[in-house]
Order: sequence, then structure tokens, then C-alpha cells
Amino acid sequence: MIKVRGKDYPWRKGMTVADLLKEIGDSYPYAVVRVNEKAISKPNFDTTVVPDNSEVYLIPMIAGG
Amino acid sequence: MTELRFKEIKTLKFERAAIERGYANQTLYVNLSKPEISIKPVTQKMKETFIGGKGFDLWLLWNAVKGTTQWDDPENAICVSCGPLGGTPIYPGSGKSIVTTLSPTTGSVMDSNVGGYFGPYLKFSGFDAIEIQGEAERETVVLIDGIDEKVQVLEVSGLPEDAYETSRILTDHFGQGKPRNISVISSGPGARHTLIGCLNFTWYDAGRKRARYKQAGRGGTGTVFSRKNIKALVVRWDAVTLSTNRPSDEEALKEVAKMHSHEIVELDPKQNEMARIGTTHLVTIMNDYDLLPTTNYRYGQHPQAANIGAEVYRRLFDKGFDGCWIGCTVACSHGIKDFVPMTGPYKGMKVFVDGPEYETIAGCGSNLGIFDPYTVTEINFYCDAYGIDTISFGTGLAFAMECFEMGLINETHTGGLDLSFGNRISAMEILHQMATGKGFGGIVGQGIRKMKEIFSKEYGADLKIMQDIGMEAKGLEFSEYMTKESLAQQGGYGLALKGPQHDEAWLIFLDMVHNYMPTFEQKAEALHWFPMFRTWFGLCGLCKLPWNDIVPEDNAETLEPAKIMKHVEWYARFFSAVTGRKSKPDDLITMSEAVYNFQRLFNLKMGFGRREHDAIPYRAAGPVTKEEYESRKERYDKQLAEKHGVDITGKGTEEKVQILRRLREEMYEKLKDAVYKRRGWTADGIPKVATVKRLKIDFPEVLELLKANGVTE
Repeated sequence: MIKVRGKDYPWRKGMTVADLLKEIGDSYPYAVVRVNEKAISKPNFDTTVVPDNSEVYLIPMIAGG
Repeated sequence: MTELRFKEIKTLKFERAAIERGYANQTLYVNLSKPEISIKPVTQKMKETFIGGKGFDLWLLWNAVKGTTQWDDPENAICVSCGPLGGTPIYPGSGKSIVTTLSPTTGSVMDSNVGGYFGPYLKFSGFDAIEIQGEAERETVVLIDGIDEKVQVLEVSGLPEDAYETSRILTDHFGQGKPRNISVISSGPGARHTLIGCLNFTWYDAGRKRARYKQAGRGGTGTVFSRKNIKALVVRWDAVTLSTNRPSDEEALKEVAKMHSHEIVELDPKQNEMARIGTTHLVTIMNDYDLLPTTNYRYGQHPQAANIGAEVYRRLFDKGFDGCWIGCTVACSHGIKDFVPMTGPYKGMKVFVDGPEYETIAGCGSNLGIFDPYTVTEINFYCDAYGIDTISFGTGLAFAMECFEMGLINETHTGGLDLSFGNRISAMEILHQMATGKGFGGIVGQGIRKMKEIFSKEYGADLKIMQDIGMEAKGLEFSEYMTKESLAQQGGYGLALKGPQHDEAWLIFLDMVHNYMPTFEQKAEALHWFPMFRTWFGLCGLCKLPWNDIVPEDNAETLEPAKIMKHVEWYARFFSAVTGRKSKPDDLITMSEAVYNFQRLFNLKMGFGRREHDAIPYRAAGPVTKEEYESRKERYDKQLAEKHGVDITGKGTEEKVQILRRLREEMYEKLKDAVYKRRGWTADGIPKVATVKRLKIDFPEVLELLKANGVTE
């Protein structure tokens, strides 16, 4: 089980960030997703596996300095 | 060390003005040459047109200098102001000060927005702004004591060279057992011996029991400060509550401040964690998107970027409250405790380092080819201690390093230093040399524009290639974002009034990543709205981070998510509640537009402010060298073929570099046309008479200036 935006979500082995976004059906064009403490950028969504028991945060905006 | 001594040169006793709706309604004038201390009234017209903060500073500076005034003339003024909303303890990010002066590197108006307690304490002591002209004969401290109601010009001896120790000693001395009552502005020896000096503003960290520092970094404000022989400005004020700023409607203020503050407490841990890691999260994100400046902006990525990213600094930052203003819930001013420098006067000693933030990491790390977090931290520490801007240091040294690698300069010029990218020892040595102005560091400390001149005239280096790779515009070094693939951000930098700093517009993600503004007109609209709204923070004494670095959860469902209109509406309520001037979001834009256009006209007054001055080096727009092109060959080939319809069959890299350059330079000129039109400016980038009339900045001297520059309608 993982948490996405504070809510429980079923985890499966090998699930990537891209898989997760597709499954939850959120069409917002996220540029960054945080998995626990680590920021994952869109170019890496396909290759980043979400570990079990992770806390996932969908970052709405990157606003620069 | 010699004993600390003060000699009274001039004292003004005053009766403290009551604060009314965010204003003290008077400003403080100090002339160090005469010496003179006096008080000037703030008129209703000043408040209506210039609002406060940067607006007041610009008006005071405009009246202090002539079009011929140089940065090192005594009549150049340094102005520091807060703004009507500054000093509100429960609204996040409400403690900013804005510094303006004529810059040693641009020759025109510079503004720098900085945290710390100085601006609010100055206002509560009875002054919306301080304006300092003249030059003191000897090292001087100016004390503004709002508790004992006196302003003093004091000759000082016995203070150390560096900013950290100076501020610590003055906080102890004037605090009278209450160090939190003190805020100090100081600079350091590097500011005196270079043109890229910064100012350190203090806030007292009650938890760690020490003065902490934020920097007004850009454009050499610290150099002007040192030139005037000012050792420090000290302000003394008492406790601050919500009532101290005497808001027009305290209940309305409380309501909106609580909403914003609570939202940050709830959402920041779920978003960018700024209260824990500051802006360091940007390092790896920029790297992932090919936007992290690496080896003088040649590239936007490096495999070692994570070594200087948030996951490292998360573990280095000392845990605790790090708000540079009282009660700010963003609290992003992190620092490193018990850091031990490997070089310089503090070698082997434990010190506290305020920072680093993203800009310093990218500028003094990746852009120099340095991926060691401790070296970045050490550069950060000595830049602050010496009073040097980390951005201009990083971008300037990156340019010198590339010149060295290209063979444009060599070890006979650098005093034997190997300035290859990644040489940490040489980078530190250059910084220490800046503290004395000796050696090659003294030349790097003149900034890129002067370096190009020196390298060309004295070392015979090729000026043309240096114009392409020297990342400065208007004489100011670029801050730390790659712009090659974002035309809108090229405009965000190139059209910025003071030079290429990202505080006017940061449009890279909207433009490059999300492609929300494909047309010139859409880019121009963004380059109107965002600079105007961001300007507003500087008028009011606010930090922009609470606006768009923590975003409402339902923001994506709004019509224009990038503007975060929910927060813009809160800011309008905040302004209305403090000043009593009922305002809506559009009104905030109009307020800024007046000041923004006035600053553009100020540039014109100083001999700048035309289309030609909005030029950017080609490195900001595209690949200068074959190596840069070939490193992203697929991207550039695709753009030439698909976006521009160029038949690239049989064309070599050098030819493709030239074709791409012509196309991209044309696009930048078209962008200028669209932005000038949107802003109500002539094709030469000058505000039209109709624009200045609409914005009520049609002062006789403004109309005369326009007429003298051929603008009559």
C-alpha cells in the first residue's frame, strides 16, 4: 500500500510514477512528483519505480527562484 | 583587535511619527559629506503613484541624481525602504526591504529585494525609507534608534573587516541585552575591492541566539555602500505585533493572513518542503529538464548534479526555525551549523553559514563545474563574509573559466592559477583575492562587462566570442537558469529593467515544459502580467515565495493556474486591509505598471532604456559552439527541419549553428516588438506619452525626457 495525496492506494511491484499517474486518472500535466523525500521530474516518470509504503505527493507547480 | 570606539559626528533627535495604515509618512535623509540628517515628508501623491518600497526608493533616487551621475559620485544615493505591508508579523513573507542605487556594473538603476528585519524596523522607527548621499571621510556607522528617538552618524574604529563579525559585534553593542531589537546592514572587504559587492541584512535568530543574514546581492549595492565609507547601518526597534503597522482593518487583516499562513503550514510539507530544504529542491529538477547552468551555461545537465541537490543539503542544514521575518511560515532561510572552511581566514574554525540557496548552488557549483557541496558552502560563506554577490561571482568566474579553457586567457594572466572548470582550489583563491582586490580575482570582481574589455584590450582575446559567451546583459551577470529553449524566459531576462535577474519573470516551465504560450502575443502577455505582479511585491515589502511556491490544492481547476489567482485575491485583501485603499487584483497590476514604467524611464534618463539595451548574449538564446550543438544534435536538427522548415541534408554543424542562430535572433527581436507593443512602448522600447499619462507618471521632467528622446505621442 502507498499513500497518494494522503490517501491509501494499492501498490504493485514494478509500478512506475507514470503508471501511477495513469491509474489515478489525473490529467493535470505534472512536471514533478515527490516520492517520499525525492523529487521526480517528468522525464524520469517512466523509469522511476515507486517503492511499497511510499508517500507520493503530486507537485502542482514549479515556480522557480 | 583594537577597541571598538564611536565618535559622534551628527545627531538628530526626533519625535517618532505614528504609523498610519502601513505608512510612517516621512523618509529619512542622511548626507555623509556635509554631514546632514533631515526628515522629508511623504506626500499623498507619492503614496498613490509609487506605493512604497521600490517605488519610494526610485522616486527618492530620481530626485537625488542627474542623468550624468556616476555610481561613485557622492550624489549617488543608496535608498532602503520597506513598503506599507512590510512589518506584518502574521502574513508570510512580509518583512522585505528593497535597496536601490546606481549600479557600478550597469551604470543605471539597480534594485535588490532582501529579507531581514531592517526595513520593518526602520518604518516602525518612523521612516518609510532611508536615503543616503555623500561620502564619509572615515568609516561610519549610521544608527537609527526608534526607541530612543535619535539618528546618529558615528565615526567608528575597531570593527573587523568582514560582514559576519561586524554585524555580530554591532548587534551585541547596540542591543543593550535585547539583540532581537537590532538589525544591521553591513558589507565587507570584497565589496570595497570589487564592483559586485552585496549587502548583508540581519535578522536575529532567537532559537540559535545569533544574528543571521540575508543578502541584497545584485548589481553592486555593497560596493556603493563601501564607497560611501559606510561600515554599517544599524536600526533599533522594539517588539512587533499585528498592531504595530496600524492596519486600517485589523480583523480583515487577521482573517486573510491566517488563511495564507495556515495554507502554507498545511501544504508546504506536501509540496516543495521549503521550510525544510529552502529552494535546493530546484537543483535536480532543473538538471532533469536540462535547465541547470553547467560550465558557463554551455549545458543544462550534469551526471553529478545530485551531489549538490536537496538530498544532500537536507542533511547538512541545521534543523530549526529559519524565517527571515517574524512569524513567516515559509521559513526558507536555512543554514549550516559548525561548518569548517578549508581555506581563508576562517580555515579550521567552526562557523555558521547562512545558505546556500538554489542560485548560489547553481552559480558557484554546477556553473563552475564544481559538484562538491562543501566547496559550494565555503564559497557561500566567504562571499557573505567579504560582501560579494554569489550570483555575479559564480557567473563571472564561469565566464573566466571558459575563456581559460578556450585559450583566450592563460596562466600568465591568471597569476599562475589553473582556471579549468571544476578547479575548486582556484575558485576559492579567486574569491579570497577579491577580498583584497589583488591578483586575477580583482579582475574577475570587476564583472563580465569589464572583464571582456580587459581581456580584449590587454590580453588580445577575441571580443566577438566573448560577447557570445559572456553571460551579462545591461552589465549585470545572469542569474542561474538556462534559457536556450525558452524564448519567453530570454525575454524574462533580456527585458528585465535592471538586467538579467529572474525576479521579474520566471516563465521557463510555462513556456518550455508546458508550452502554454506558443505565440509571440501570448509570450508578450506573460511578459506583461508577470513582471507587473512580481514588481508589486517590491512595492509593498513582501516576498514572492508565498504567492506561487506553495499552491492551493484546487489551483489546477482555475482558469489561469500560473497566476494563482486565489493568492492574488488574498494579496488584494491584504493591501486593502492595511492601507484602507480598497483594491482588486487588477489594481495591483496598475500600481506596479506605474512604477515599472517609471523605472524604464529612469534607465532612459541615465542613458539606457532603449531597444539596444535589451540585447542578450547569444549563449542565452542558443548553442554558440559546435560542441554545444552536437551535444543536443537531435533537438536542434529536429527544430531546424520541423519547426523552421530548413532542409538540413548535407549541412555541417557549423552551418547549422549559423542558421539556427539567425532564426533564434530573429525570434528574439520579434518578441521585443510584441512585448513593447503590449506594454505601450515605442518600437525603440520607450514608454509612449499616452502610457505615462494613463499611469499618471507624466511629471514635467518625464515629459521633457520623452521629448528629448523624440517621443511626443
